[in-house]
Amino acid sequence: MVRARGLAVLVVATFAAFACGGSTGGGNTSKGEIDIASDLPVSGADASSGLPTQEGANFAVTRAGTLKGYTLKFVPFDDAVNGAHDPQKGVQNVQAMLSNNKILGMVGPFNSNVAKAEIPVGNQGPLAMISPSNTNECLTQAHDYCQAADGFTAASLRPTGKNNYFRVAAPDTFQGPAMADFALKATSSQGLGLTKIAVWDDEETFGQGVANNFAQEFTAKGGQVVDRKSYDPKSKADFHDFIASAISKGAQGIYLGATSATKGCIARGEMTASQASSLYYLGPDGIGDSQCIKDSGSNANDKMYVTQGVADATQNPTAKSIVAAYEAAYPGSSNVGAYTFAGYDCAAILIDSIGRAIDANGGNMPTRQQVIDAMAKTSNFQGLTGTITFDANGDPTHPTLQLQHYSGGNWTFVAQFSQGS
Amino acid sequence: MNGALTRTPAAALRSFRSSQVSTFIGLLILVGALALTIQHVLQQSASYFFQILVIGVADGAIYALIALGYTMVYGIIELINFAHGDVFTLGAFVSLALLPMFGVSEGTSGPGWIIPLLVVAVLTMAICGGINVAIERVAYRPLRHAPRLAPLITAIGMSSILEGAMYLWRGPFNLHYPNLLPQNQLIIRGVAIGYKDLIVVAIAIILVAALTVFINISKLGKAMRATAQDRDAAQLMGININGTIAATFFIGAVLAAAGGIIWGLYINNVTFDLGFETGLIAFTSAVFGGIGNIPGAALGGLLIGVIAAFNNAYFDSSWTEIIIFAILIATLVFRPTGLLGMRVPEK
Repeated sequence: MVRARGLAVLVVATFAAFACGGSTGGGNTSKGEIDIASDLPVSGADASSGLPTQEGANFAVTRAGTLKGYTLKFVPFDDAVNGAHDPQKGVQNVQAMLSNNKILGMVGPFNSNVAKAEIPVGNQGPLAMISPSNTNECLTQAHDYCQAADGFTAASLRPTGKNNYFRVAAPDTFQGPAMADFALKATSSQGLGLTKIAVWDDEETFGQGVANNFAQEFTAKGGQVVDRKSYDPKSKADFHDFIASAISKGAQGIYLGATSATKGCIARGEMTASQASSLYYLGPDGIGDSQCIKDSGSNANDKMYVTQGVADATQNPTAKSIVAAYEAAYPGSSNVGAYTFAGYDCAAILIDSIGRAIDANGGNMPTRQQVIDAMAKTSNFQGLTGTITFDANGDPTHPTLQLQHYSGGNWTFVAQFSQGS
Repeated sequence: MNGALTRTPAAALRSFRSSQVSTFIGLLILVGALALTIQHVLQQSASYFFQILVIGVADGAIYALIALGYTMVYGIIELINFAHGDVFTLGAFVSLALLPMFGVSEGTSGPGWIIPLLVVAVLTMAICGGINVAIERVAYRPLRHAPRLAPLITAIGMSSILEGAMYLWRGPFNLHYPNLLPQNQLIIRGVAIGYKDLIVVAIAIILVAALTVFINISKLGKAMRATAQDRDAAQLMGININGTIAATFFIGAVLAAAGGIIWGLYINNVTFDLGFETGLIAFTSAVFGGIGNIPGAALGGLLIGVIAAFNNAYFDSSWTEIIIFAILIATLVFRPTGLLGMRVPEK
């Protein structure tokens, strides 16, 4: 009886040992676990942008599986509260990350106003932060309008004086003007040929910043901003008065410095059919998601154009196999957002940086500061959305963005713009 | 004479309110605001002015429908029902859920949606009425003899519960409401008035008129007026107080639900927390027009709607909220009975 029980225990233990070997090749003892965290809005109106991005980052981590003997694990956090990205929740998430010793870096955040709150916390951690989609230029660059326009400067976000924050997205100093140039370009050169435009913003860091950048470039290159308005997304629901105002001043189109969560596309849904068919509706990546298409209702048409802060990975021939593998793992067009592959690249760069830090540390678990130092040295990293080298501020040296317009139910690719700065 | 320096603050405020000075200051502010507005209006075209006026009246009509519920409940049990704005949102949500069941969606053309919409409207109003009566029975009736603060706090709690329920039901997303009303516009001397705007105002007028007739002619209306005037005397006269109050809540919810459906048809977009802000604006309208006063609520709603639209159009829309709540505070300080006064029982 005892012998039989002992045999049973031995058999069970053997099975357990094999089972616990898991996907990392079973049997090999892992040197430990390294966690990659993410902080993105994955519930509510922002979910249509945040969730596909999180899935992209998750895919990169699971695809890598291990790193120089360490097991990799993906730890996602959600910074949406009641359906919209919330800076305070983001800060709480970063604090939670800092208290988990296995987390060596994070992918995110998605929104610039969340980054504004999180960067100082991550800076003091320190914790490496890499964002797939933040585009507000004042987060990394020093401009004399930053304090007045946005209420902070890049230096004020870094109390230790060193940088811990990086991004792969093109800053708004590029995104806003790129749309302005496209809007002004003659239709014979594949532009929109607009001369009069109304510009609205949602009074948030990102929205107001990109709207100002757009308006400045549009005016500088000879166009006219006939109506400039701001609204508080929490209290404004009825945009009929804004639409009437824009039309009465002769606007041919409207530029929305906003996100879908801050009611960027509600105004499109409130237009009459004739207004929607004659007015162009332009915007930054904030409204380039499926929530915007839902909010526009029957007024979604091909006069809606957006820029996305990163290139289209499907246009990159070297990315084909990984894109296909992702689409097999996460089927359905709702799982591919504009920043999915940027999220993948961010996680991949973070993993690569941790790898280099492990090497520099003689194969041992690196410190968070070592990971940050390794990330700053990232050079010519072949990502799905392009080749990435970080400059001294943490910005990509050659940002690319894509132009999309609405066609057949989705945002579809129109063109790509690169900037060699 | 001898009491002038030793007056209590309450007495001082009372005498200030009734004095010439406060009226004068109030008028001065009003004239100043009007002058500033006229200056901005003249800078733009007349057709734009009428356009904004139409939008303001349409918005104001919706606020008026919600304000009526606030004012009726306050008149009868002196409670500010903060959950009322959420009954308005619930009306929009319930109708949004019912419309597909009757085959109505955004593409449904022609009169194919009129009958189903009316049926959905009646159902929604009945459902919201029922829910409001249940809320009154569960949350407010037990506290009828408690200090006035208790039901007020309960109302705030009820508002959170309703918002939470809607959040759990449809999530935090902006929900698109089908665009059913005709989109054509009537062009009169260069002013484009949408059929949508006219329909919204027409429905509101019909409902307010129906309510006024009901209150003044029907037996239940008389009971409601009697209960509002003096609850104990009404009870002594044989009026069923509980039933009358329940009926008040039912009617208030019916109007709010109608407002919710109209909001959806006009703005084409609802969110679970819409009622919080809209409810506060409607409450301000009720107070501004005269709390407890039905024509007052309608007038207050209309004025607030017009003021908000004008501010958004001619000035900086960031100021709209500030102005609306400044009006609330100013009303309570300078003229607490509101524009049309309150039918205050002689106590």
